[in-house]
Amino acid sequence: MMEMREFQVRASVETDVLHAWIDTGWVIPDETEGRMTFREIDLGRAQLIQDLERDFGVNEEGIVLILDLVDRMSGMRRTLGHLAVAIRREPDHVQDRIADGVREASRKITELAS
Amino acid sequence: MSEDPYKVLGVTRDVSEADLRTAYRKLAKKLHPDLNPGNKKAEEGFKAVATAYDLLNDPAKRAQFDRGEIDASGSERPRQPYYREQAERDAGHPYGGDQGFGDFGGEDIFAQMFGRGGRADPNRAGADARYRLELDFLEAFNGGKRTLTLPDSQALDVTIPPGTRTGQTLRLRGKGGSGIGKGLPGDALIEIEVRPHSLFKLKGDDIHIDLPLSLRDAVLGGRVSVPTPSGPVSMTVPKWSNAGAVLRLKGKGMVRGGASGDEYVTLRLTLPAEPDAELQDFVSRWGTTKPHETRQAEETL
Repeated sequence: MMEMREFQVRASVETDVLHAWIDTGWVIPDETEGRMTFREIDLGRAQLIQDLERDFGVNEEGIVLILDLVDRMSGMRRTLGHLAVAIRREPDHVQDRIADGVREASRKITELAS
Repeated sequence: MSEDPYKVLGVTRDVSEADLRTAYRKLAKKLHPDLNPGNKKAEEGFKAVATAYDLLNDPAKRAQFDRGEIDASGSERPRQPYYREQAERDAGHPYGGDQGFGDFGGEDIFAQMFGRGGRADPNRAGADARYRLELDFLEAFNGGKRTLTLPDSQALDVTIPPGTRTGQTLRLRGKGGSGIGKGLPGDALIEIEVRPHSLFKLKGDDIHIDLPLSLRDAVLGGRVSVPTPSGPVSMTVPKWSNAGAVLRLKGKGMVRGGASGDEYVTLRLTLPAEPDAELQDFVSRWGTTKPHETRQAEETL
């Protein structure tokens, strides 16, 4: 966790810009008793916003859309990661059955699509 | 990295600033690690492309490079750790997205397994903190106040309600983990374990206790003092009370809701610690004239 000033220096972001990010919910700091603190992940998010804005020329609407999709994708990947851990803890024959089930399910989906 | 930055970006040496930017953006969008999860090659590619662009996008540096005064190494751009990696690693941040598992297979199995349906509120309540606390029987029975020291050396005042039982959980609102955004803090949940007492045995809401009784009180009856978890009370023992007889003290058990259980007192006939000649003499004379059969009950078993 870091204070606003440290965050600004490390993320190289100006006060006005940071406040705009917070107002639109692009960055959500912790707020206790009116004092904001930032996490490491907020630095990564700031970097992504800056990449999108400065390097990719994405406009505001585009950034909203991309942040939302990245968040969905991250959540999904985290969940699938947990699922993979849980499956790996199962005995081999259970893992095989799940793998077979996945193959079969994907085959079915293919048939429906054709 | 010492690769030719023009080659990395796929442009000619006389590329215009505008074309340079177009070329970079095209590659960077394809390679940005936040947009290419799990692709190590993309991450390396992005780094190379960003470094090449940083060099050529700076007219002074580009001129130096063109004159052969500097090479392409050492100009890597300092970067924050990639956002997506951190967002994936743990859920302790406010940037949760709807994972879109809601309609999988029509059975909602993922929704069931992985919790939340909709998009998470950016202002989320903090997590509950769980603790265990051992209490002495009398403390749990009568209730009281305790100050606990948490692992982070914070003090926590706990009110123990009368009639607290093993397995019960005390909830202290707002004493758990701090909330995310404007979310309220979580609660502290304290699971109680009550240590057994050497004298009082708890069965349901009732207290059971063995009471040593003198021969005189057993034969003639009288008022005796009986311990209860809330302090001693006096109880009338009827005359000619046999060993093993059970007397009830109403309302002296454990509190539950508005009511209380009872205390059951089992009488244990106890002879004086030291042999008493007079008593022995009397019983030997009395026993021969008034024998009473005590074995009968055992023999019928």
